[in-house]
Amino acid sequence: MTNEQPPPDPRPTVRSRSDGGYEVRGWRCARCTASTAMSVRRCPTCGGPLAETYFGPLGTVWSDTTVHVPVPGRTPPYRIAYVDLDDGPRVAADLDTPPGRPAPRRVRLTGTSERGDVTVAAAEEA
Amino acid sequence: MTRPVYVRAVGVSGFGRFPERALPELCWDALDDCLGADPGRDVEAVYLGNVYGPNGLGPRVVHGAGLSGRPVLAVEAACASGSVAFAQAVRDVRSGRHETVLAVGCEQLTTAFRGPITPQAGDPEGRSGMALPAVYAMAARRYLDHYGVTPDQLAAVAAKNLTNAVRNPRSPRSEPVTVDDVLASRMIADPLTRMQCCSLTDGAAAALVTATPGPGLLVRSSVFRSGGPWGAGSPHVWGYDLVRLTGQAAYEQAGVGIADADLVEVHDAFSIGEIISIEALGLADEGLGGALAVSGDSAPGGKSPVNVSGGLIGLGHPLGATGLSQLAEAFYQLTGTAGDRQLDDPRLAVVETMGGGTAGVDGNACVVSVLEAAR
Repeated sequence: MTNEQPPPDPRPTVRSRSDGGYEVRGWRCARCTASTAMSVRRCPTCGGPLAETYFGPLGTVWSDTTVHVPVPGRTPPYRIAYVDLDDGPRVAADLDTPPGRPAPRRVRLTGTSERGDVTVAAAEEA
Repeated sequence: MTRPVYVRAVGVSGFGRFPERALPELCWDALDDCLGADPGRDVEAVYLGNVYGPNGLGPRVVHGAGLSGRPVLAVEAACASGSVAFAQAVRDVRSGRHETVLAVGCEQLTTAFRGPITPQAGDPEGRSGMALPAVYAMAARRYLDHYGVTPDQLAAVAAKNLTNAVRNPRSPRSEPVTVDDVLASRMIADPLTRMQCCSLTDGAAAALVTATPGPGLLVRSSVFRSGGPWGAGSPHVWGYDLVRLTGQAAYEQAGVGIADADLVEVHDAFSIGEIISIEALGLADEGLGGALAVSGDSAPGGKSPVNVSGGLIGLGHPLGATGLSQLAEAFYQLTGTAGDRQLDDPRLAVVETMGGGTAGVDGNACVVSVLEAAR
């Protein structure tokens, strides 16, 4: 008999900040300063030791797409973006801009969706 | 010890939807085509490329093919599984470990998935809904926004390859496809429409790799690399640098440049994939690869024919079989047996396969092979 239980959730962990914003848990290399939000044991870039840190709440959309085909657990169309968190890693995130509209350049973390995805929305920077 | 390595024969099964057939049967079809009436001959070892098949598939394939007793090793390298099987076979023969090795690749996607390939739940991007069309769509969107590539250029790649497939008896396609047809097909992951995406396909392919001189292909090089980290700060779209570095190493080992190639078969799982690959391989400057399909330069008879076979978009993409299917096209072209799609006396081919799907990695695996006619 096979065990159909899904593996542990590998998506980045998001926590709320005291100012009401959100940030993503990640790690920065003590040797080369590269960052990641994925579970790793050593720095993927140089093999150096990692220190836990938090990234956000702002980031820049590197690219985005709207998926129109069914993917288990999701109802198309849904919009997803690669977001480069400021001075931090690139993460995949739900983008709340409706399909068909241009993606914002700057976004702000808004927590996680009911499905557990990292979520972002257009940022209004001062 | 290094020595010349040859591809003595290739074989392919039908490519299509065969949910009623057992996966080993597709492999045996390819092996019949490759080995003919004398299966086994001098085969000393077997590599089998596959992604979603059952465990024990390799022994079942060799057992039923009359090759029992040979060591068989399954290779999983995402879309590049078949090409990695080939690269391993070449390495074994070149090093003197074996005289003759068989590389087989196969996949049966129609029994594994109803729709697109399901993203891996254990991968942070897969769990976030990043299906493979979305991975490539991200790169396509980046190219549209930052390099001036146009939707028409993306569509021209797909129209070229779907039209090329008309001349390939392995494809059921009988009518040429236009850019308008491609753009009018339904949206899969913006900006990639259905005709810009490879189909869920079943199939198998094989190659017999040997140190014995004779007709077929001389393997000038076959280089296999895996990607480094990819993310914020990476200079290029996903996969670009892995293909570039693998290609450079393959050219250096072969002592040639991309300008010497008479044909190129590249990994066009999605239209943007061909554009990225030909740029990374040096056929076009960064951001300018899309123009080659529009100008006709990458068409059969053009300056640099790309995916004369029809590519993955035209023939389908049975992951484990794909790399060996690409190799088979190089074999047919360089041995003058490509039928209606035969190019004018080609001598040198470059074949590139790219596998991915792991978050944060610039490609699970890439193989670039440089192949010359051995006459």
